[in-house]
Amino acid sequence: MLRLILITSFMALATPAMAQINPDAERHGSAHMGDHAGHDHAADPHAGHDMREVDAELKLADQPELAAALAAGGEPVVAKVLGAVCDFCAKAMNKTFGKRKDVAAVYVDLDAKTLNLVLKPGAEMSDKTLRKAVKKSGYKVDTVARGSVTITN
Amino acid sequence: MCRPVLITATCLAFANNAFARPVSYAGGWTLIEDTDRQSTSALIHHSPSANYLLGVKADFDRNKDILFTGVQATWLAKRWFGENHQANLYFWGAAGLVQGVGSTYADDEAGAQIGVMADWETRRLFVSYRASARDYASLDKSAMQAARVGFAPYEGDTGELHTWFMLEVDNSPDADEPLDVTPLIRFFYGSALFEAEWSLNDDQSLLNFQYRF
Repeated sequence: MLRLILITSFMALATPAMAQINPDAERHGSAHMGDHAGHDHAADPHAGHDMREVDAELKLADQPELAAALAAGGEPVVAKVLGAVCDFCAKAMNKTFGKRKDVAAVYVDLDAKTLNLVLKPGAEMSDKTLRKAVKKSGYKVDTVARGSVTITN
Repeated sequence: MCRPVLITATCLAFANNAFARPVSYAGGWTLIEDTDRQSTSALIHHSPSANYLLGVKADFDRNKDILFTGVQATWLAKRWFGENHQANLYFWGAAGLVQGVGSTYADDEAGAQIGVMADWETRRLFVSYRASARDYASLDKSAMQAARVGFAPYEGDTGELHTWFMLEVDNSPDADEPLDVTPLIRFFYGSALFEAEWSLNDDQSLLNFQYRF
């Protein structure tokens, strides 16, 4: 058994230097916060959301389910997600958010790297809850956008 | 005797080597069938969280006629996130029973497997490395490692067919042919992953499958 552990430990050390692959998510995030340093959150209806929130015009994916939920009066939320590179990533977030009672429609846009949500009419979802659910899916939220909607292709 | 034959038949029916993103989302289930030039294994597992999974596994060594059945735990030790890429480091271990099948007669013995996997990918590029070792008591003690590179000819969007061309090089020091090169094609579609490989040394096809639900 000792030999087994030693062999695998040796092989683990021989792996490509994954520790050097240090995506600059945090650095990127800090820069983004700086971009919005002058944003007036006091006058913001979503002042309870964290500093990473972008209350600019949000771009919602052009999907029939999202459009229908939006027409029914749901609030749209679009989160920029880090690490979403394949359909398994999309599936994970679709499954996690699809089970939630406060979500009317969900769509992960790999091209735009966004998680598109339309909440059920009257429902609310804080940034903290959103980030926690994305983390539960195995991914990480970069920014969250709420506000007036533009549908994009 | 019937049990190992049934398990082996199940493994072969699924034939695989699909180690892409083994840990699912919290609450997710994944069926993995994996074949390399030495073994065919089937694993069904549940991910209680996005960081680890627990499952049952059957692994049939086709060269040495050894069947391993047991439980496996896989831990996503670290995931690095970027706007356009993702990297992962996994460790896994399995414990169970091993037995000779067919010509290799032996009583059941305790066996264990351990391994490490690392990958880095964008929507167009993929690099991975894995290494594993096993202790099958008197039946076998061996290790292997493999590295893979791949590229996608196009960026598939959500729900579209994703296609990858890959090349894997593996090293099994105890094998007759320690080094092998395996070109393969990988398809992702929705919850399913399918790989078709061709072992250049052994001149045989290998099929891998993974389904997430």
